[in-house]
Amino acid sequence: MDCETVRLHLHADQRGHLGPELHRALRTHLEGCPACTHEEAAEHVLTEVLERRLPQHPASLALKRRLLAQWPAAPVESRPWWRGWRRALVPALASALVLAVGLPLYHELWSGARGDATAMVAEAVNDHVRVLQRDRPLDVESGGIHEVKPWFAGRLDFAPVVSFEGDAEFPLQGGALGYFVDRKAAVFVYKRRLHPVSLFVFRAEGLPWPARGLTPIGGAAGYTSVSRGFNVILWRAGDLGYALVSDVDARELGRLAAKLARG
Amino acid sequence: MRTRGAEDPGAGLGREALAYVDTLHNLARYLTGNETDAEDLVQETYARALKAADQFTPGTNLKAWLFRILRNTFLSSYRRQRASPLVGGLDTVDPAHQGVADEAWLRDDVELDRLRKLVAEEIEAALLTLSEEGRTVILLDLEGLTETEAAQVLGCAVGTVKSRLARARSALRQRLKDYAR
Repeated sequence: MDCETVRLHLHADQRGHLGPELHRALRTHLEGCPACTHEEAAEHVLTEVLERRLPQHPASLALKRRLLAQWPAAPVESRPWWRGWRRALVPALASALVLAVGLPLYHELWSGARGDATAMVAEAVNDHVRVLQRDRPLDVESGGIHEVKPWFAGRLDFAPVVSFEGDAEFPLQGGALGYFVDRKAAVFVYKRRLHPVSLFVFRAEGLPWPARGLTPIGGAAGYTSVSRGFNVILWRAGDLGYALVSDVDARELGRLAAKLARG
Repeated sequence: MRTRGAEDPGAGLGREALAYVDTLHNLARYLTGNETDAEDLVQETYARALKAADQFTPGTNLKAWLFRILRNTFLSSYRRQRASPLVGGLDTVDPAHQGVADEAWLRDDVELDRLRKLVAEEIEAALLTLSEEGRTVILLDLEGLTETEAAQVLGCAVGTVKSRLARARSALRQRLKDYAR
């Protein structure tokens, strides 16, 4: 197998789409070809970048409502003696179907199922760990919120709205540039005793925000969860989304969230 | 006994067709390049799907079937309206003829690391520079369609999908190079 053929099949191999014979021939070639091995690594990175960061454009709620309203209902048996009643029954049946079937389906499909919230929480924990694992977790050391916030100017396409300056209980340590799912995020790092607390601020649109299990937090409706030992609180305010993550006690994290969400 | 299915041809298609609206809209957005046209394209796709519901074979891949309708609708209704600068893009060039120097940029960890740090807007912008074929085949692959399913959507041979995908990904890497430096 030559290099050109190998490169044609690299991606299919990574997807697991190659037959065993072709797969073996490709692996044999890669063992003796540094150039194709590099090419394979580059293909891996490209896939990872596309899957993690390429913006997704879901349909708007208005389009979904229009399509749902226009879609024919499921087949419904009718009987000959209904013929005279059809004018009255059909609209009534249609309304009942929309309420009984369409709305739960709509809610289930598009309003943020529990699985989506789990993905958001897992992403928040991953991003928190990623920030802490950096050689220098902070891009800007705190000299107060009015030093940290301006540092983001020109580095983000939005202005992070955070007015809590930190206090004796939760001193502000600094800020950093991070990511949340597929977008850039402003990261504000607070501290509770020796525990770092990351606040991610990012553009909220297009993410599967949980619609259930919300509780009042400050002036917002927050979603609280635990993942891999970390407590996570998610909330939205206007166009911005917030994810607060730490291994501090859930009640303490809730107190900080209330201070932050107060606006 | 009679069913409403006989009156509404789309009823047999099932409401699960609507579950693909987000993924169809995503492809439509990358094909048309704007929100208004993308919404129109998706709406037209579902209208055509309802009309052609009797041509869908239950048990086959509904998602691929809808993708095919969307792409055909785009080709017949939208692309003609615009003099697209994206046709005949970089991904129409055989990667084997692009030269070794162009490939070398991804051959060390530093460059791979730069690629990992690209932001969403840069990746989107790079993807939009590809031809319609290039964008479509990359997005179908990301949606998890097999080469056989993608071939059904694109109306070509499986081997053609493989070579188009390789060309498109190679071209995308070339574009991303400009952002990663």
